[in-house]
Amino acid sequence: MEYSLQIVIDFNVKISPGAVVCDESEIIGDVTIGTRTVIHPKAKIIAEDGPIIIGENNIIEELACIINKAPATASPGSRQVMLTSGCIIGAACTVTSSEDLDENCVIYGANCERRMQKEHPPAQTLQIDFLTKILPNYHYLKKPTKSSTPQRN
Amino acid sequence: MTGILSLCDNKIVQYLCACGKWKSIYRLYLCRHCYKIRCGDCVLHEVDSPYCPNCLENMPSAEAKLKKNRCVNCFDCPSCGHTLTPRATSQMVSNPDDPGKSTPKKMFYLACGFCRWTTRDGGIPDKPTVSGGWEDMENPYAARLSSLLEHYQQLAQREKAEKERKKYVRRRSHLMYAASMDKYGMVSVAAKRKGLMPPTTGTLKENEEVTVTILKEPDTTKMHQRMSSVEFQPAETGDLFPGHKHLLIRRSLRCKECEHNLSKPEFNPLSTKFKIQLIAILHIPEIRVVPGAEFRHKKDTKVTLTFTNPVNTNTKIQFLQVEGNAGEEVTAKIDVPKKELVLAHRDDATMYDEMSSQQEFKDDSRSTATTLPSENQEQQTVWLEHRINVNLGTLLQQGK
Ligand SMILES: [Zn+2]
Ligand SMILES: [Zn+2]
Ligand SMILES: [Zn+2]
Ligand SMILES: [Zn+2]
Repeated sequence: MEYSLQIVIDFNVKISPGAVVCDESEIIGDVTIGTRTVIHPKAKIIAEDGPIIIGENNIIEELACIINKAPATASPGSRQVMLTSGCIIGAACTVTSSEDLDENCVIYGANCERRMQKEHPPAQTLQIDFLTKILPNYHYLKKPTKSSTPQRN
Repeated sequence: MTGILSLCDNKIVQYLCACGKWKSIYRLYLCRHCYKIRCGDCVLHEVDSPYCPNCLENMPSAEAKLKKNRCVNCFDCPSCGHTLTPRATSQMVSNPDDPGKSTPKKMFYLACGFCRWTTRDGGIPDKPTVSGGWEDMENPYAARLSSLLEHYQQLAQREKAEKERKKYVRRRSHLMYAASMDKYGMVSVAAKRKGLMPPTTGTLKENEEVTVTILKEPDTTKMHQRMSSVEFQPAETGDLFPGHKHLLIRRSLRCKECEHNLSKPEFNPLSTKFKIQLIAILHIPEIRVVPGAEFRHKKDTKVTLTFTNPVNTNTKIQFLQVEGNAGEEVTAKIDVPKKELVLAHRDDATMYDEMSSQQEFKDDSRSTATTLPSENQEQQTVWLEHRINVNLGTLLQQGK
C-alpha cells in the first residue's frame, strides 16, 4: 500500500536540481520545489485542491505544514496564500486567510501577530549551505525530477 | 503546555497552611523550628540581590536603584519583549588614507530572534563594538521629573519627621485623615477629572452596519508595545526603541513567627542551589489520588490514595476524622482507615536497582514519625498534624 502511494508522489512532485528534500517529508500532489530550497524531514506539503509552488532559497522547517485545500463550499483553488519574498512564518504560527502576504512580513507569537520588517531579511545562504551539507549525512533525499529546468551552476 | 505546571497547581489534594489557606504541597514550606506549614503568603520575603536574568550579573540594591532596576548591557525587544542579541555584519567603509578604496569593517546591530525586530528597523545606526554603547533616548521631561522627585522626597522627609513627633498622640479623626491624605492636592484633581470625562460607551441600533477594517499593514504599535516604554509611548512601529532589561530579584524567605530562614538561595545568580530550602515536599508525605473511582449518590465507594515518603526514615501515618468546620466544603462521609500506616523510608538505591525493589516492606517494622534533624544533630521524633482537603471529583449522574 505504502509503496504505491510513493509512486504517485514521485509522479507529480517536481523537484528542481539543487533543492534538498528529505525523503521522510510528506509531499503529496502537484508540488513544485525551486532550486536551493531545503525541506526538513518532518515537513508536510499537501496540494489537495490546487498546486503548491515553492520558489528558490526557501527553508521549510521541521513540522511545517503547507496545505492547499479548498473549503467545502468554495470553488477549488479559491483560497490561496501567496508569500512574497522575505516572508517569515514563525514557529506554531498559521496563515489560513486567502491573501498575498506583503514583502518582509513576519508572523510570530502565539496570537500570530504580524509586523513588517523595514529591511529585506539577510540572505539565509549560510544556513542553506549548512543544511545542504549536513542533511544528506543523516537522511535520504528525494531525487530531483529530470524533466525540470536545466541545472545551473 | 500542561504537565508539570498543572501538576503543581492542581486542586485535587490540598494542605492547610498555618495561615488558613489551602495550597498544593508544591507551594508550601515547612518551618523546622516551629513545625508549621507556611506558604508564600505567610512568610517574609527578603531581597537578597537584584540581578539581570539575561547576563546574570549581580548588583547591590543601591546601585540597582540608581539604574532604575534595569541592566546596563542587556536590551528587550520593543516589539515583543524578547531579549535582543547582537549580530555582526560587515560594512564597506571608505579608507581614510585612500578615498577610492573601501575596506570591510565589522559592525554590530541588535536583533530579536523571535519577531525579527532589529535596531535597523528602529532607524538606529550600527555600532562598531559588540557591547555597542547603545545610547538611550533622551526623555524630554527628565528635568521636570527629577525636580518633582526631589520635591516629593523633601515632602516625604517632612512627613516622616511629623509622624515621629506625633507618634504617641492619637487624636486623628476621620475628617482630619482625609484632609491629610489630600496633602498633595491629588484628590481634588482626580475628582475634577472624573467630572470632566463623560462615559463614552454606546449601543448599536438594530440593523446598524458596522464596518470592520483589518489592518493589513501593522504600522501602528500595540498597547503593550507603547506601555513597555512609558516615557515615549511610540505610536508607530518605526519609532520603537529598545529598552534596558528589567532586573529580577533573588529572594530569601523567612518564617513570620520564629524568623528562621525557610529558603535561602546561594548568592551567585548562576547557581540554582540553595543554602537553606525547607520546602514541604521534602518532609511531608505527598498524597495522590488513584483515578477511576466512581461516586454515586448514597453509595459507598472505595478510594485509593498513594502516599510517598520523602524522608530517609520510616514515617508513621494516622488518619483522623476531621470534624466538618463551618465554611469548609465537606460533601461526603468518610471512613478513614483505623489502622496506623507505616511508610518505608525513601531509598534512592531502589530507584536504580530492580532486585532490591522486589523486597517487600514489612508493615510492622520499626515505626517512627517524621524525623527532622534538629540543630544539635540529635534525632528527634515529631508528630505533625496536617489537615488535608481531597477533591475526588464529581458525583455520577443518576441512571448512568
Ligand atoms: Zn500560609
Ligand atoms: Zn544583563
Ligand atoms: Zn521581538
Ligand atoms: Zn518558624
